This record gives sequence, structure tokens and C-alpha cells, in this order.
Amino acid sequence: MSAAFNFQPSASPQEAAAWSRRQVLATDVRSIRGRAYPRVTGMFREKSWVFFEILLPFLATSAFVFVYRALEAPAEYIGFVVLGGAMTAFWLNVIWMMAQQLWWEKSQGNLELYFAAPMNIMSVLFGMAVGGFVMSSTRAAAVLVIATTLYGVSFAIDQWLLLIAVFFLTLAALYGLGMVLASLFLMWGREAWHLTQLLIEPVYFVSGLNFPVGRLGIVGSLAISLLPLAVGLDAMRQLAFADAAYPLGTPSPEIEALILVAMTVVFLLAARFTLRLLERLARKEGRLSVRWQ
Amino acid sequence: MTGRELPIDGLGAPGWGGFDPARTRGSGGEAVRSFAVAARLGWQMEANWTDPILFFIYSVAKPVSAALILVFMLEVISGGSRPEFRAFIVVGSALWSFVVSGIAGLAWSILDDRERYRMLRYVYVSPSDFLVVVLGRGLARIAVGAMGAAITLGIGVVALGVPFDPARIDWPLLVVVMALGLGSIVAIGIVMAAICLQTRQESWSYPEAASGALFLVSGAVFPLAVLPQPLQVVGLLTPLSWWVEGVRQALFPGGLTAIGGDGSFFGSVAGLPAPAPLQVVLALLATGTVATLASIAVFRASERRAKDRGLLDQTTGS
Repeated sequence: MSAAFNFQPSASPQEAAAWSRRQVLATDVRSIRGRAYPRVTGMFREKSWVFFEILLPFLATSAFVFVYRALEAPAEYIGFVVLGGAMTAFWLNVIWMMAQQLWWEKSQGNLELYFAAPMNIMSVLFGMAVGGFVMSSTRAAAVLVIATTLYGVSFAIDQWLLLIAVFFLTLAALYGLGMVLASLFLMWGREAWHLTQLLIEPVYFVSGLNFPVGRLGIVGSLAISLLPLAVGLDAMRQLAFADAAYPLGTPSPEIEALILVAMTVVFLLAARFTLRLLERLARKEGRLSVRWQ
Repeated sequence: MTGRELPIDGLGAPGWGGFDPARTRGSGGEAVRSFAVAARLGWQMEANWTDPILFFIYSVAKPVSAALILVFMLEVISGGSRPEFRAFIVVGSALWSFVVSGIAGLAWSILDDRERYRMLRYVYVSPSDFLVVVLGRGLARIAVGAMGAAITLGIGVVALGVPFDPARIDWPLLVVVMALGLGSIVAIGIVMAAICLQTRQESWSYPEAASGALFLVSGAVFPLAVLPQPLQVVGLLTPLSWWVEGVRQALFPGGLTAIGGDGSFFGSVAGLPAPAPLQVVLALLATGTVATLASIAVFRASERRAKDRGLLDQTTGS
């Protein structure tokens, strides 16, 4: 890859700036790797996250398991809670470490460096997503494995491939949404920090984190058409508990997979558009380096 | 003649030119002033970012949604056949917004000042007691949590059919357990602030994780009797369990108990179906006192370590 960056004498600055496709791609890949690096390395440098990001969230998930036990709910509902608890790791990562990140970078003084660097800003966001995914998937896997073992959750999966596809489509749509929110939060400034709070419990509720989203009626239908967490979780529940008496009212997993594909495309395009728009606005109004607003 | 007896000109050095240690000690009045200024600053940061309507929605959306999640879980399973459980859940989840905001407010004030505004080092070297400033900064979020709790209870009564009779409220019990309980929440918040003094930027979600874990053992939304016995013991050692129980007994006398009941550890040890109000107050006082003393010790130890390792002005990013 480094050959793409070898010094080559050029006749003019314009010629030097005219990068080949290979150089552009190599730079973007390096940006992704560079932005993911501190997130992955940070995990190993400070071990406290294992306690706070795995053990404590597992206990929080357990609380909802015991709510269902106190209500003498059917066994599959324990599984619904465990699956929801695992997926919260990704939502929290999208909210805390994607949506807020550009605004945070601006406050730290890094944002103008990102924009000044010869790379696509989308690759920075993608790098954040890759780094965050490593941490979140560790947490999600830990919650899923420990809770499944401890609470005796039994899965009944008929369509493994579709389940895996839905899982990755959900992540793609979630991180795409995170990229859109990152650019919007950059515009909203300090309000973004508080709006983050609005995107946790209310989203958990309308996404049916601990119960089938179909029970929410019209609100659930709206959530399925707008929120990747809602549609992804519903599809995964249908696929992971194929033998359960799943409440009707939501589309089949195949349809929900298509909804996720559409969401991924729309969110990624929207992120690209909003990032460009905001970059232009920020340059025009001189707000790229204005901190703490 | 000693240096203390010499006239002091304003804020200048003592007339005899030496160092007067007495001038470095703050009085009670100064602590109150520091607390008031920190509380005002905290409120401004918490509330002045938007218009009052959005601020109101922001303040209540989180606790109301948390309560609705639990109410829907109940409805999905019981189909509305257990109204007494609905009151139990609504009260528990409403009170929990105090816990979440109390813990987060104190911890976030550390993270805000160190990571975002990079003012922690200046706050720390100011003449104010650091702990007093942190407590003041956290007060605003507790106020927001209180508003959220009150509105969640109101929605529970008006919209969710929680049976509530204001004439039956045990006011003395309510006042005592609220005072003791808020003290305990602040104590747990101080421990969380001490932890965040040691950890990195990503600690924003740690208070939420800690309160989520306490949710399991506090009997907030289900009776402790459904937990394995060791966890029930942990729950009984937590002041929050007694606080939630006390508030429930004060608001809904004769309602469901989270601490007692069939198969509970408390029932097997005390031989009672539920703790009496006086027992609740005494247990809350005892566990709350231990939590408060421990929190101050932990905070001071964390402060010393942070100074020793240069963590007060060390920012992180990832």
C-alpha cells in the first residue's frame, strides 16, 4: 500500500494534487485503520471497561429477566430480553461513540484537522464504526453467552444464513444512522449532548427492546419503518425463536431484511449528503474550530 | 506577638510577610457559597441549552419511557390482570430516575470539567472544597430526576390507572425516607464520581451501567424474593432497596412489598411478611450511613491517587 505514497516529482502543485484512484483508496483505507486504532487499542490499555461495559450491563439485562420471572412469563420472553440486552451494546455505541463523535472532535480541536487532511471524512466515520464494533460486539457476545447459559435460553434457529445476514444488515443500518446523526449533532452543538439522552430509553421503548414490538400497534409499525434497532431486533427474534408463539403484526424476517437493506442505503447516502452540506456550511460560517457551543 | 495578630491588608500577604495557615481554611459560609455557585452553574449547563418546552420533554421522556417499557412487559404477560403490580412497577421505575440522575450528575460533572471543558485542574486548585463543588454540580441533575419522577408518577396515576389515594399517604414516613434515600443516592454518586476521576473519556456510560446493575438488587421493579438468596442479601445491604420500600409503604400503605413476601430472605430471617415502617427507616439509616462514610473515604482516596498520577488534567480520546 505504501507504494501509492512514494514521492514522485511533479511539474506543478495541481499535478501533485491529482491523485490516482489507487492513492485515494489507499488513503481512505489508512484513515479507516487509523481511526479504528485508538478504539481497539484503548480497550486493552484500560481494562476497567470489562467491568463497566460487560458485567454491569449484563446485570441490567438480568434485572429484566427477573421481571419476567416474577411475572411467570413464557420461557421465550427471557430469550427476547437477552437478545435485546445484547443488541443495546450496538445502539449505545452508535449513540455515544458515533453520533456525538464529530461534535466531540470539534470540542477537542481535531475536527479541522480531519477536514484539512486529504481523505474522505466518511472514512473517519467508518473507522469509528469499525473500532466501536469491536468493543460492542465483545460486550454483546459476552451478554448473550453468559445470559443464555445462566438463564437457560434455548434458541430454535431454522434459517442461520438469514439470521446472520439480518444481524449484519442491522449493524450496517445502525452505523449508517450513526453517521447521519454525527453530522446532525455537529450542527446542533451542545443540544446534541442532551438529545443523546432522548435517544436511549425512548428508543428502547418504541423498538420493543424487552417485548415484541408488534404489541405497540401503530407505534411499533412506525418504529419498524424508521429504526434499524426495532426492525433488526424483531427479525432476529422471529429467526432465533422460530418455535415460539410470536405475536403477529410485524412483517416476515425476509421483508424486514429488505427494509434493513433500504435503510442502510438511505442512511449512508443521507450521511454523505449531510456531511458535505455541513462541511460547506461550517467552512462558510467559520464554525469548524468553534468549541463548546 | 504572632503573625495572626498582625493587621492583614485585604487579600495581600500578612503584614509580617509570612504564611498564615489560618487563611487557607475555608469557613462553613464559604462552603455554602461554593455549593450555591456550583449548583447554579450546574443548572445553567443543564437547562439553558434549549427552550423550556424541549427541556421539559427531555426531562420526562427518559423516565416515562423507562416506566412504559416495564408497564408493557407487564401488560404483554398479564393482559391487565395484575393492577397491583402496575403500581409497584410505576413507583419503582419513577423513583429510579432519581437514582440514575443522582449517580450520573456527580460523575458527569467530573467528566465534563476534565474532558470537555478542561477546567477540572482550575476548579481543583480553587479555594473551594472539591467535593462541595462536585456535589453542587450534581444537584441540577437530581432536580431534573425529581421532576421526571414526579411526572412519571402523575402519568402512572392519570393514564395508567395506578390506584392512588392522596389521603392515605404516610407523610412523616415519606419525608424521612426521601431525605435518607436522597443522601444515599448522593453517596453512590460520589463513589461513581471517584471512579470517573480515574477512568477515561468513555466513562460517560458508566453511571448508567452502575445504576442498571443496582436495579437488579434493589427491588425497584420486582420483589427481591425472585432473586437467588445471595443476591437478596446484597439487596438488603443496599440503601436503595430500603428507600424504594419506604416510599412504596408511604405512598401505597398495604401494597406489595419488594423486601418481604413468600420465599424472601427477609421473611425467613425476620419471620415477618413485610418490614414495618420503623424497620425500614432504621435499615435505611444504617445502610445509608455506611454508604455515605464509605463514599467520602473512596472519594478522598481517588482524589489523592488522581493528584499522585496526574489524572486531574489528563484528557483522553478514542
